Amino acid sequence: MLSFILRRLLIIVPMALLVVTVTWALIRIAPGNFYSTERTLPPAVEANIKKKYGLDRPWYEQYGMMMLNIVKLDFGDSLRYPGQTVNEIIRRHLPYSATIGFFAYILALLIGLTAGIIAALKQNSIWDYGSMALAMLGLSVPNFVLGPVLVLVFALGLYLVPPSRWGGISSLILPVITLSAIYAAYIARLTRAGMLEVMRSDYVRTARAKGLDEKTVLLKHALRGGIIPVVSFTGPALAGLLAGTVVVEKVFAIPGLGNIFIQSVFNRDEPLVLGIVAFISILIMIFNLAVDISYGFLDPRIRYE
Amino acid sequence: MQEFIGKSLAVSLICCFVLLSMTGCIRSSAEQKYFGIVKVPSDNVLRYVTGSEPESLDPQFVTGQPEARIMMALYEGLVEYHPITMEPIPAIAESWEIGPDGTEYLFHLRKNAKFSNGDPITAKDVVFSFRRGLSPELASRNANLAYYLKYAEAYNSARAFVRNPDGSFLVKDGGAPAAEPAAKADTFGPDSEFHRFIDAPERLTVPGDEAGRKKLTDKDAKMKALLEGKQFVPVRAEDVGIEAVDDHTVRLKLYQPAPFFLGLLAHQFFRVVHQPTIEKFGRAWTKPENIVTSGPFRVAAHKPYDELNTVKEPNYWDAANVKLAGIDFYPLDEQTTMLNLYKAGELDATYNHTIPAAWNDTVKQFKAEYSLHPEVAVDYYSLSVKKPPMDNLKVRQALSLAIDREALAQFQRTKKPLVDFTPEGIFPKYEEARQKVYTELLTQQGSSMAEWKARIFDAEKARKLMTEAGFPVQQAGSGWSTPSFPVDKVSITYNTSESNQKIAEFIQAQWKQNLGITLPLKNMEFKTFLPYRSAVEYDGVVRNGWVGDYMDPFTFLNLFYSQQNDGATGWWDPKYDKMLDDANKEVDEMKRFEMLATAEFYMMQQQIIVPLCTAGTSWVKKPFIKGMYPNPGTLHAWKFVYLEKDSAKWTKSMDDIMSEKDPAVTAQIDQLVATQEALKRSKAVEKTAE
Repeated sequence: MLSFILRRLLIIVPMALLVVTVTWALIRIAPGNFYSTERTLPPAVEANIKKKYGLDRPWYEQYGMMMLNIVKLDFGDSLRYPGQTVNEIIRRHLPYSATIGFFAYILALLIGLTAGIIAALKQNSIWDYGSMALAMLGLSVPNFVLGPVLVLVFALGLYLVPPSRWGGISSLILPVITLSAIYAAYIARLTRAGMLEVMRSDYVRTARAKGLDEKTVLLKHALRGGIIPVVSFTGPALAGLLAGTVVVEKVFAIPGLGNIFIQSVFNRDEPLVLGIVAFISILIMIFNLAVDISYGFLDPRIRYE
Repeated sequence: MQEFIGKSLAVSLICCFVLLSMTGCIRSSAEQKYFGIVKVPSDNVLRYVTGSEPESLDPQFVTGQPEARIMMALYEGLVEYHPITMEPIPAIAESWEIGPDGTEYLFHLRKNAKFSNGDPITAKDVVFSFRRGLSPELASRNANLAYYLKYAEAYNSARAFVRNPDGSFLVKDGGAPAAEPAAKADTFGPDSEFHRFIDAPERLTVPGDEAGRKKLTDKDAKMKALLEGKQFVPVRAEDVGIEAVDDHTVRLKLYQPAPFFLGLLAHQFFRVVHQPTIEKFGRAWTKPENIVTSGPFRVAAHKPYDELNTVKEPNYWDAANVKLAGIDFYPLDEQTTMLNLYKAGELDATYNHTIPAAWNDTVKQFKAEYSLHPEVAVDYYSLSVKKPPMDNLKVRQALSLAIDREALAQFQRTKKPLVDFTPEGIFPKYEEARQKVYTELLTQQGSSMAEWKARIFDAEKARKLMTEAGFPVQQAGSGWSTPSFPVDKVSITYNTSESNQKIAEFIQAQWKQNLGITLPLKNMEFKTFLPYRSAVEYDGVVRNGWVGDYMDPFTFLNLFYSQQNDGATGWWDPKYDKMLDDANKEVDEMKRFEMLATAEFYMMQQQIIVPLCTAGTSWVKKPFIKGMYPNPGTLHAWKFVYLEKDSAKWTKSMDDIMSEKDPAVTAQIDQLVATQEALKRSKAVEKTAE
């Protein structure tokens, strides 16, 4: 088990460097640069900028310098926001995204698991149809529609919560609900399918045959196997959620990492793009590892040597 | 299974219906006097959105409009924008004089101006700020705004003077050695060693580095001979045409007269920064804990992407006239998000172009809040005049004539049709001069002003010109067709945005309808689009627009000046450059405008662009905000802004706001300009005495 974890952790380093290299190449291939605006710059001004940021050197030197910095875990200064380091920006904006992402996932788990389990237990009843209909709605209403609709009703119609911006618990309510909807829907469907499959499996029948009461069968045996698909989904989903989601952050004007990430691409802010890409890729790999480890605890048939 | 899907679908539909009907109820309840909640902030702090997160709080570094408005709160320069007209009014300089030849400016600074840490603001600080902006190390993208100052460009591009072994320097025209000049009789302001240097004939400058010089001498044998055996002395910050004559007098020296330069000095690039702070903290000087500012407000807190809080600056020299307790800037660029906040009463005003098309009809009913005023900005399409078929003047004219601009303006809701290049309704005196010049020139051509104005839309003439250009337009059913026009060589390129796309589709339809030419549309991501457009790589037609930097038509006409220009058409004409240069040398205002109008006429005759419209402001503010005007740049001098508690005095209609006199604001402006008026009067008396 330990050697498995170590092996996986070691792979993360070259993988992250590979991701950064590809991203770097993509930014370089994309036309345009961080300093261009509607106005054409006089050649002298452009030359000053290139000199200041080392853009007048050959590409391999620039690549080498960038890699050296990354190995030192220092992504340097943002090009768009001079005087602010990339590390500082990520540290400052991650908590916003992580807070919303975390609560959204908790809410999604609560709603999704409950709905999924109920639907599976009362298959083909009104409970099943109702929860699966809601799940279908959650999946098919994109959050750039759901967000504004919620704002329209609860912020601008009933004036119950602020329409956007960060500040206090009340400002969290709408973005968390908006963000959780699609995840709750996924989880509900995954749980229902997983549970239905497990409930028909041999070991659940055996458990019943042994005379265990329905509650123990359900919670101790069926649920553990039934939520494995949910756990697989949780790794990448949670990593993505914590690192920020562009649409919700835009609609509710939340200063999260997702918003910053997209802006950094549009701004061609190379160090910031690379920093966030490296951060998100490492986060996803770690969460995937955590998911793989948790399989071992959930399903006795899975063991790591 | 089928039953399952059916029942699920039914429930889904019911849910959708309930949600939609809820939004429907809310929509219809909007029949009120104001757009959303109107409540005067009790803490006297204005909540404003100025656009996306500012790049920095360093005035010499930042370039965008969002930043400009923040810089106006935090820093002050020699002059400030007039809140209504945007003309320059006294700020740190209480008065100024312009030399008889128009190249020298003498600014008299007020003695009580202070930084936010209490240090006095002196002429040295102004000089430092200008030199800093121009330093190659800062690499400011706005440095070229100061290129009008003598040797500014040479310093910014690290060039060098050429020195003879005997110590004299080569001058620019002719390259003959220049003797160190003696004090001239017409010295403007006090004599000084620097003034003698800067007033002497312009020195020759060459690239400061060996490689750059080699490139130059390889091309130019005469230059090679001239530079043989010479020494190269780098142009220093101290050589730039700005001088602290004494603690409270600043003198500027320009290459040539630039009557608009005074207006340009209100730009954030020229605002004053604190030298010791910058030297002490380096790049971190703009952090809230380090920053020292010079304007009416200071930084209280800065949470990037969330808010920038400023509070009234007690050390500001005119603090008694600063009425707001502070301004909170929210960095937002989503129009819908900011209007939601505005409607919920959590935001007091927005910046220009913030009303989404879908909201326009609703918002414009709220007359007390919605502003639609002409802007110092134009929309146009550039044409690649060097590539066929756009190299044919008649094709260009036909394309321009075939657009119904009235319909386009109506379609866009917030714009006014444009026939010429400089915006309409912004420079009244220039427009008067233009009317006169155009009438004369058109009469000479056997045409008339009426015919010129008809260029707003004339499909008949467009078809005639297109046929004459060698692409016959034929009747095809109820429409037209031009089968020989090379549609594969021309497309309409624009940077991706909903409004750009709508305009492009509109114009595509116009050309199809009136000429029978269907051009393909091509959209591009902004940063990809910029180099593509400026290098004139596009085929035929490309979206373009321009926002003026200062209140003078030259800010637009300058777009086609010099070979490396911003017009993105590939067109350059030394004759046009000379017309503009000559105009700027003219001291008489109306005569200069007439000369500029002649240049505009000359350029428009070439039809290198298709003018589309003058932009409109299109923003909202709560009725209780006073002293905030929809001036042509939507740039607000914040010390004039105040929150009115008495609802009887609130803004009734934004349409009348520019002509209505607000006694509080008028008195404040009168008081400010009094020092400059007094100086003007005393100079006039001196002149009569002579």
